[in-house]
Amino acid sequence: MENQLLLENISKIYGDGDTSVKVLDDVSLQVKAGEFVAVVGPSGSGKSTFLSITGALLSPTSGRIMIGGKEIHKLSPKKMNQLRLEKIGFVFQSANLIPYLTVQDQLLLISELSGMHNKNAKKRADNLLDRLGLNHRKNHYPESLSGGERQRVAIARAWMNNPDIILADEPTASLDSERGRAVVQMLADEVKLHKKAAIMVTHDKRMLDLCDRVVYIEDGRLSEKQ
Amino acid sequence: MFLALREMKHAKLRYVLIGFIMILLIWLVLFVSGLAKGLSSDNASSIQNMNADYLVLQQDSDHRLTRSTLSDKNLQDVREYTEEGKATPLGVQMTTITKNGDSKKSDITFFAIDINSMLAPTITEGKMLNHRAAHEVVADRSLQHEGLKLGDEIEDLASGEIFTIVGFTEGQSFSHTPVVYLNFNGWSTISHNRTPNQDVFNTIALNISANKAKQIEKNLPNINVISKDQALQGIPGYKEEQGSLMMMIAFLFVIAAFVLAAFFYVMTIQKMNQFGVLKAIGAKSTYLARTIIFQVVFITIISLLISISLTFGVSFILPDSMPFDLSAQLVIGCSFLFLAVSMIGALLSLYRVSKIDAIEAIGRAA
Ligand SMILES: Nc1ncnc2c1ncn2[C@@H]1O[C@H](COP(=O)(O)OP(=O)(O)OP(=O)(O)O)[C@@H](O)[C@H]1O
Ligand SMILES: [Mg+2]
Repeated sequence: MENQLLLENISKIYGDGDTSVKVLDDVSLQVKAGEFVAVVGPSGSGKSTFLSITGALLSPTSGRIMIGGKEIHKLSPKKMNQLRLEKIGFVFQSANLIPYLTVQDQLLLISELSGMHNKNAKKRADNLLDRLGLNHRKNHYPESLSGGERQRVAIARAWMNNPDIILADEPTASLDSERGRAVVQMLADEVKLHKKAAIMVTHDKRMLDLCDRVVYIEDGRLSEKQ
Repeated sequence: MFLALREMKHAKLRYVLIGFIMILLIWLVLFVSGLAKGLSSDNASSIQNMNADYLVLQQDSDHRLTRSTLSDKNLQDVREYTEEGKATPLGVQMTTITKNGDSKKSDITFFAIDINSMLAPTITEGKMLNHRAAHEVVADRSLQHEGLKLGDEIEDLASGEIFTIVGFTEGQSFSHTPVVYLNFNGWSTISHNRTPNQDVFNTIALNISANKAKQIEKNLPNINVISKDQALQGIPGYKEEQGSLMMMIAFLFVIAAFVLAAFFYVMTIQKMNQFGVLKAIGAKSTYLARTIIFQVVFITIISLLISISLTFGVSFILPDSMPFDLSAQLVIGCSFLFLAVSMIGALLSLYRVSKIDAIEAIGRAA
């Protein structure tokens, strides 16, 4: 099957001169459509940096990134913005919902940003909320949701623009293991169902059995174990 | 504006507070502006409404009509350069009068005119002066507030001469005093003590082009030709009064700019993380900037509408004697200036938004 996401020889150096730190050292990774990859590693090992580069939030110092067969590492910031909007769905560590939007509006915001705020968008949002069991919370603000519900809204939001890849940075960090597992299960199901590529950073070893592949990051180097 | 409206709805209290501050500031601006305009015409409407473009003054009289003395000789000289009827003498004399037989004093200004000239005032009540009668006058209507009516006699306390009011006019004041018009026969009775053998007056009003004015000033010795605007500035107290009010208005605009800047800046700083998230999910900086601009414009316009209604409401219950004059033109001008000022106040926030990095959203910014 075709590679949805391709990272080749990625290096990232923060700072310059005496204070420079090499956080990623010649890292490569391929993720196929329908594949759910977990990234684990000690704190400070460069997991978030890796995810940010993959998600076009940060430019690598060197290396090549291809999403859906398109090179992205040379794009201007404006183009990267557009790419994030169209191709990438993020689930942030602490859900990071917009406090003044209702659950439904969180999803509609995505279609508003891409200039497709119409009936179809509304249908799609309803559909997603239905699937994630959030229909009865449609008109609630994030402040009145539980942690697990928020995380589910964040996942629904990541799905709203029908992205090619999903990136999640410790999506279960603020949840108990049961709820965390339910959230990751949902993520895995969605990836399988719609043939997306997904990368999840996690500290929680108990989630790893839900993923297709686990990669370990240490001292800026990637290694795969079974 | 998807985000802008929803945020304002969610954080009503904040936006109502800033709107309230703006309403008060705009209200004050409009009120002081109306007062400045009102005081300006209360002070000098006779010059503002005068049917003339330029005034001839004696050299070195500091743009002050009352300091200038001109003679018939000057008038002859000036008339060499102007068409028939475009140059006419004007005598200005500030003095104190009483209603005959009464002890209550009022300050007035005598304007001596040729009654067939362009300076003749419009009569609103009674009749116009005639050529001969030396002891008839036409007074500004505001003297009616002092209890004077048609046919009443007034005494000029400086000369002791007594005049009869035969008519009233309106919109004629000079240095906050009502203007009383008389003809040059009357003028010589109140001024003959000072200049026994010569007809003198203070200025010559001209209805001419700017070029002509320059030419006259260049060719005739010992005179200045000034514009009506310069003459206004030369009225005692006019410059000071308007200057201090204008300074207040300018300060209000500056305060408004800073209050708005501070408010929106603090709000923007508070929302940095949120903006980071928005950028991470694909919002452009221009979209975020438009959201802020929309909010600023929205609040400003709502506040303007409320303030304008408040100002007009209050102007209705103000007493008649209060000089307050707010034209639509002035309101529109102030409104646009205020809108511009609030946009300037938002600039700092826009700058911060343009610098937001999407990376704030992921990893560290938990
Ligand atoms: N902007 C930066 N400038 C300099 N150094 C940075 C910067 N961002 C990250 N680092 C460094 O890079 C290293 C990797 O950071 P990163 O956030 O990717 O770690 P992580 O694996 O996500 O850790 P954690 O599990 O604690 O979230 C850390 O040592 C960090 O101090
Ligand atoms: Mg991290």
